[in-house]
Amino acid sequence: MVQTSNLHFIVIDDSKLDCFIAEKIIRNSGGIDSIKSFLQAKEALQYIATARPEDVAHTIVMVDIQMPVMNGFEFVEAFEKFSPEIKKNYTLYVISSSINDNDLNRVQNYSSVKQFINKPLTNNSLIQLLENPI
Amino acid sequence: MSTQDKIKILYIDDEQNNLVGFKATFRFDYTVFIAVDIDQAYEHLKKNPDISVILCDQRMPDKTGVQFYEEMREEYPDPIRMLITGYADIESVIDAVNRGHIFRYIKKPWTDTDVKSAIEEANKFYITNSMLSAKNVELQSAYDELGKFAYSVTHDLRGPLLSVIGALDLAKTMDDIDEIKEILGMMDSAVRKLDEFITNTHEYYNLKRGKLVFEQIDFNDIISDTTAIFRIAGRMDSVKFTAHVVQNDVFLSDEISIKIILNNLLSNAFKFQRKKASDKFVDVNIEVKDDNAIILVKDNGIGIQENHINNIFTMFYRATSEETGSGFGLYNVKDALNKLNGTVEVDSVFNEGTTFKVIIPGKGNGTN
Repeated sequence: MVQTSNLHFIVIDDSKLDCFIAEKIIRNSGGIDSIKSFLQAKEALQYIATARPEDVAHTIVMVDIQMPVMNGFEFVEAFEKFSPEIKKNYTLYVISSSINDNDLNRVQNYSSVKQFINKPLTNNSLIQLLENPI
Repeated sequence: MSTQDKIKILYIDDEQNNLVGFKATFRFDYTVFIAVDIDQAYEHLKKNPDISVILCDQRMPDKTGVQFYEEMREEYPDPIRMLITGYADIESVIDAVNRGHIFRYIKKPWTDTDVKSAIEEANKFYITNSMLSAKNVELQSAYDELGKFAYSVTHDLRGPLLSVIGALDLAKTMDDIDEIKEILGMMDSAVRKLDEFITNTHEYYNLKRGKLVFEQIDFNDIISDTTAIFRIAGRMDSVKFTAHVVQNDVFLSDEISIKIILNNLLSNAFKFQRKKASDKFVDVNIEVKDDNAIILVKDNGIGIQENHINNIFTMFYRATSEETGSGFGLYNVKDALNKLNGTVEVDSVFNEGTTFKVIIPGKGNGTN
């Protein structure tokens, strides 16, 4: 089991099942402080905008790409507009079922996105992530 | 032959006598527009974009026929251009023909038969060209749709599948039966979403490729067929459903298209309810009057935000993450209505409800 102290998670996915899977797998990995999932990217943005720094340092954000209303790319672009004081508390991962080259290339162009993760999230991919999460 | 079917031709000559003579000879066979100068010619072209053949005299005071063609074809590339000229101008004619400006030239003095056969040939060429460009437009839109399809297939087919794979992996590690049941329930909805997408794709292709079959439509039957499916699926639970049909006349239309329209509108009405509301309702009102079917589908559900209203009929567009959706349903509604020459209007207030008003003309009333 990987030791992770003071690590919070935010999962943003319009699929309830995918949020559920991510929550279970993250929780099973142990040593996690909190997990929040949002079905809408806008709600996650609001949370990040208003959260107290001591409650969120440090947070791993996993965001899906294709979502209605606000998609993953729009979320990342909105996130990048936050102040450095807010941004420094978060590490962004994009998680998607997409195998579209345009999507994958686009993910690489965002400096705030650490890595692209293929769906579905598995124990193994999470363990790899947790080796060097931030 | 009616005026509608007649070939439209434009004849340009600076000599009034030639114009009058030409029109007198050909006005029974063709719709003839005449112009004494280039300004007049442009006026005709502007007002009659379906002129298919132009005949122009080469020797005119301000410009030669070749010069006129070189200039006009930028704005009006479609009409087939022919030049009327005497032997003296043969050099410039050969040059113009070679440079692709001119389909054919008619030498002076022309005979009726020469001109007629040239016009017929030119018109054939025009029709072939316009069919080709219409086909190209169709092809382009088919390509664009294919691109959208390929992209959406990843998300809409692969997405739910990967969810189920992830859930299965997870379930293997679980011992608690309640937890397993919870995850089974979610897998169930993921698989249903997949099925919905496939059904919608099937509808889409039925609409695109299928021919309309006109038969007598009984709206009472259609309503009971459509709602039976919802009832079995339990989607009408806790929603008050009312239907009111006024149909005294025979109405001829395509049953499959009408079912697709009603099915999608009703499905949305049942789906996008406010979960906590205690007075949920869906109301359908259908009236057949003057060979039009007017369909109102009303609900008091979550409504549509104003900034999304203009996009709801766009393929794969989704205005909400409440409930599952393929972004296909209303696109198919619009597509079916286009085929039937029908219209749809939306009236919606966010958090209060939505009313769709559909008007479908009967077969005797202008459907293609």
